[in-house]
Amino acid sequence: MREEDAFTKQFDWQLTKRIFGYLRPYTWIALGALLLAFLNSATNRLYPFLQAQVIDQYLIPKAGSSFAALAVDERWNGVVTIGIIIAVVALLEFVVRFGFNYVLSWMGQSVLFDIRADIFSKLQRLPLAYFDRNPVGRLITRVTSDVDAINSFITDGLMTLVQSTFVVLATAVLMFQLNTKLALVALAVVPILFLALRFFQTQFRKSYREIRIKQAIVNTALNENITGMGTVQIFNREVRQRRDFDTLNSEFLAAYLKSVKWYSYFFPTVGIIGNGALAIVIWVGGGDAVRNVVSIGVLYAFTRYVFDFFRPLEDLSNVLNTLQAAMASAERIFGILDEPEVITDAANAKKIVGGFKGEVQFKDVWFSYKPVGEEVLETDWVLRGINLHVKPGQSVALVGATGAGKTSIISLVSRFYDIQKGSILVDGTDVRQIVQRDLRKHVGVVLQDVYLFSGTIESNLRMNDESIPLEKIIQACKYVGVHEFISSLPNGYKTEVKERGATLSTGQKQLLAFARALIANPDILLVLDEATANIDTESELQIQDALAKVMHGRTSIIIAHRLSTIKNCDRIIVMRKGKIVEEGSHDELLQHGGYYATLYNLQYADQELAGV
Amino acid sequence: MLKGFRGLGFFFLKYRVQWSLGMTCVFFSVAISLLGPPFFVRFVIDELYAGRATLETVGWNAFYIMLATLLANAVVFAQRQFNVVSSFKVAYDVRKAIFEQLTNLDQTYFHQNKTGDLMSRLTSDLNMVREMLGFGINAGSQTLLRMIMSIGLMIWLSPTLGLIVLAVFPIIAGLLAIMVRIIAKRYVAVQEQSSAISAKAQENFSGIRVVKGYAIEDREIAEYKDMNAEYKKRSMALAISEAPEWAAVGIAMNTVFVIVLLVGARELLFQGATTGNANANFAGLTPGKFVQFFTYLFELSWPMLAVGWMTNIFQRGSSSWSRLQEILDAKSVITDSRVDPSIKAVDGLIEFKDVTVKADGRTLLANVNLKIPKGTTVGITGRTGSGKTLLGQLIGRLIDPSSGVILIDGQDARTVPIQVLRSAIGLVPQEPFLFSDKLSENIAFGLPNSTQITEPNIPDLERVQMAARVAGLSKDVADFKEQFETVLGERGITLSGGQRQRTAIARAIARDPAILILDDSMSAVDTETEARILSELKKVLEDRTVILIGHRVSTLRFADNIVVLENGRVLEQGTHDQLIHQGGYYAEMERKQSLQTELEVEIEPVATRV
Repeated sequence: MREEDAFTKQFDWQLTKRIFGYLRPYTWIALGALLLAFLNSATNRLYPFLQAQVIDQYLIPKAGSSFAALAVDERWNGVVTIGIIIAVVALLEFVVRFGFNYVLSWMGQSVLFDIRADIFSKLQRLPLAYFDRNPVGRLITRVTSDVDAINSFITDGLMTLVQSTFVVLATAVLMFQLNTKLALVALAVVPILFLALRFFQTQFRKSYREIRIKQAIVNTALNENITGMGTVQIFNREVRQRRDFDTLNSEFLAAYLKSVKWYSYFFPTVGIIGNGALAIVIWVGGGDAVRNVVSIGVLYAFTRYVFDFFRPLEDLSNVLNTLQAAMASAERIFGILDEPEVITDAANAKKIVGGFKGEVQFKDVWFSYKPVGEEVLETDWVLRGINLHVKPGQSVALVGATGAGKTSIISLVSRFYDIQKGSILVDGTDVRQIVQRDLRKHVGVVLQDVYLFSGTIESNLRMNDESIPLEKIIQACKYVGVHEFISSLPNGYKTEVKERGATLSTGQKQLLAFARALIANPDILLVLDEATANIDTESELQIQDALAKVMHGRTSIIIAHRLSTIKNCDRIIVMRKGKIVEEGSHDELLQHGGYYATLYNLQYADQELAGV
Repeated sequence: MLKGFRGLGFFFLKYRVQWSLGMTCVFFSVAISLLGPPFFVRFVIDELYAGRATLETVGWNAFYIMLATLLANAVVFAQRQFNVVSSFKVAYDVRKAIFEQLTNLDQTYFHQNKTGDLMSRLTSDLNMVREMLGFGINAGSQTLLRMIMSIGLMIWLSPTLGLIVLAVFPIIAGLLAIMVRIIAKRYVAVQEQSSAISAKAQENFSGIRVVKGYAIEDREIAEYKDMNAEYKKRSMALAISEAPEWAAVGIAMNTVFVIVLLVGARELLFQGATTGNANANFAGLTPGKFVQFFTYLFELSWPMLAVGWMTNIFQRGSSSWSRLQEILDAKSVITDSRVDPSIKAVDGLIEFKDVTVKADGRTLLANVNLKIPKGTTVGITGRTGSGKTLLGQLIGRLIDPSSGVILIDGQDARTVPIQVLRSAIGLVPQEPFLFSDKLSENIAFGLPNSTQITEPNIPDLERVQMAARVAGLSKDVADFKEQFETVLGERGITLSGGQRQRTAIARAIARDPAILILDDSMSAVDTETEARILSELKKVLEDRTVILIGHRVSTLRFADNIVVLENGRVLEQGTHDQLIHQGGYYAEMERKQSLQTELEVEIEPVATRV
């Protein structure tokens, strides 16, 4: 359970320092926030003090003091003056408080932005193998809730710590200003209250955790029963499932009631401590007032101050938890940022200007999806000593059963993975010696199920490149035969893609994929032409036609499932279990009567019969 | 708004005694805390002012404050025990009732309502309702009462000052309520952008191959940053409306305070001045009363904000409840309404007569006629979506036909009590659903002592072992560290596809059913194992009717009768030999599969250059 990590992870200075690193660009803002926090706590606590003044000086001046001699009008003027001061302080407090909250949010949001940008950029640089290892959901958590935890580390954690401390200090200073003895009496409540709050926080945390666990169990049971209700019903288990669920439901209720119990104790305890302090202040302060040592105004101010410790102390008692909770998230985030970028450009990597001639060579390539450097077991090899030479402009069809290693060959030309043994050369240069960006810019991969990004059809066709004129895009679309379809859409090329193109048909998607590839105009084309079901003959012919057009005059390596495509290629490579087992033209291979001949009978003969 | 709570009353009123006691507690806790300490403080101040105070009076009053505090907080304790506890109990009852309702609803309902949607109703919606009943009622009533009593006491202390407060308070509360509304709106805008960012990340991570393939990482980073910049903008818009919330309460309170101070001071000073008598001059307002007045004034800070919050809580609670009530209102299509209770057992003769199934305007099965004599095996095959699975579901009455009838032992299946019918069926679904429980519990899932609640809840282990053996699962179980006690699923081990299927077969066999339905249930099991399981099954299931849905000719060939479905219609029907002879779909299937076998035969791959 992820949530539990948050509670068990210890506070860690190394991580905290790294989080602080994100505050560095905002040092001045942070200092400003501190100043505002200070002003805020000072103004906020001034009222009882001012009220004490108005009482002692003008409303009930002590007999014999200089104020007692004032005339009623003068006393009234004094009241008005302090009234104005209070109003000004209130206005100041409003501004300061507003400013503090605003600056704090701004700072938190800025750090949030920076961390997210860092993680996202880092992820873009990590190799495909990293994404194979880490499910998308997990990565999403990193850029969402984990980053949020860091944000609250700064805003709810650090800043609360500072602000609440200021508030307690400001209250203490003002109380000492008024009366040392009563200040000491009132402050005696602080440690008691703090300990009580700390105790209850711990209990709340414990019961909250138990609730989370029980909630997870109940949710699992609910999910399971809803999904498997058919099974439950066909096996007559309804009554039993109800009873079993009731057990879990009751435990869930019990966990909640436990937390209610603690809250039931919490509020009275806090109330009793607060009012207890009030009683003591009245007792001690009232006694002193009787002896004329303490004035009524001061006594009044203390009756207000004793209640003012609750909020800041509550925040303070919770602050450690917030800080701790961020530790686990911080560790995971920095884990990503520290991840080695396995596939990097070599120091002297070759820049490609103007493109490739299009020669591709595999020299005794051994490949496994295990990270390079790790031990590879005999069963882990995906490619076992592949030798392949594709001349510029030549087209090659890869055929073979699932798992034969066809897809790997295509991934390797773009250097999505690095190989363990052998070498892959493009135009005679090892792909590890070519700048990745340049390599991929000139090597086009066409996946049959075109992956559409949110945006317009046009932006999906041009991909990154704003320099391509619209005419060229339209021309390409006309060429592959998808222009008419796009024009029929409500906004033509500017139509927004919805739900990643869920509304498009398979044929339309494939044509878009070809158009996209054509627009990028790669020198080497890699195509994953998967078997398509439910496609009408007309679209099928259109696709074949488009594919032939895209391949024309380009080095092409195609994982082919269509007989027509296979026949169209200059050469057929038959793969089996990571090795090339047969090579030749369609007719040659059929005549040979080997593996390809059997494959043909199983998979492609129908297509021939169907006449497509 | 009351209409939104239709049906909730039933659950609510179950705890009417607790709620009434809780409300009484609310009244007393508020009354004691407002009337207690503030009065004693006032008394002390006035006595001090009048110069009459002694150490004794001060001491006693301090004691009274303590006493009132203890009393009020004892009531606060009880109040939470009544109100909040009841709210959790209501949530428990609702959860229980909905679960029961779900067990009664049929598959049609579960097709229309996705698991995720039902889950979110049972979790977040139920939480909203709980919050409304707990926090909403408890804190809401307390806040309301505190507010009313405070204002009342202020007016009683000083009509002039009290009325000033009474006049200003609604304006401030109203303004704050508007603020709360704006905040809520901006909060939604932030949330929306937040999901958009998650969606963007999701899109990028899932499409990373394309991103890298087209070398568009930089554009993606720029877009992601733009979206985050927008998020920051919206968050700051939220902050700018949220930041002044408390600050505004502060300035409002202080404004009122200054007004009260000035008006009150004027009254105090000039009264005193006119009469010149220290004791008599405060017949109206005394310094003590003045202080007491301030105490009540500050009591209003929280209610000012709470008005907006509470409205939100009740609105959300109401719409959440209506989503829960929808589940409780749902009706099952499959019912026991036409049942003949005299039917106590099922023999195993099944007949489909002109059975048609339509759903969402599509015909899934059309006029299917099929007779499956007791003790025979029928093989059913056809393309995905041809309607094979429906046949099994119809027999178990997981769905009912739109027209036509299914006869069980010569009688309409709808007259057989569902309980009796299903007890006679062992169904192995296409994608078997296992529960995260012990393996033994999963296999014994349909055994009588598992389905009833009176008997002890221990699976019949002998039965379980027998079923596991027949299903070819024994060897796997022997390899598990905890054998049959092994826990499956999230908190336990993950079974392979084949193991899952065989566990499901064992679960069906364990019931010793009159009718066994195997719905493509060995797709992840190799051909040899499948043949072995089927021959084991034959031995145990003598005289049982078997419906074998599948694609493998090697297993279908043993069926007494084979049916080929296409688009919901019977395309071919006959024995293996008849169908091969016929040279249609089935024969083609057989040809391909034998080629496939040929391909799979291990030939040492040697590169042959032609």
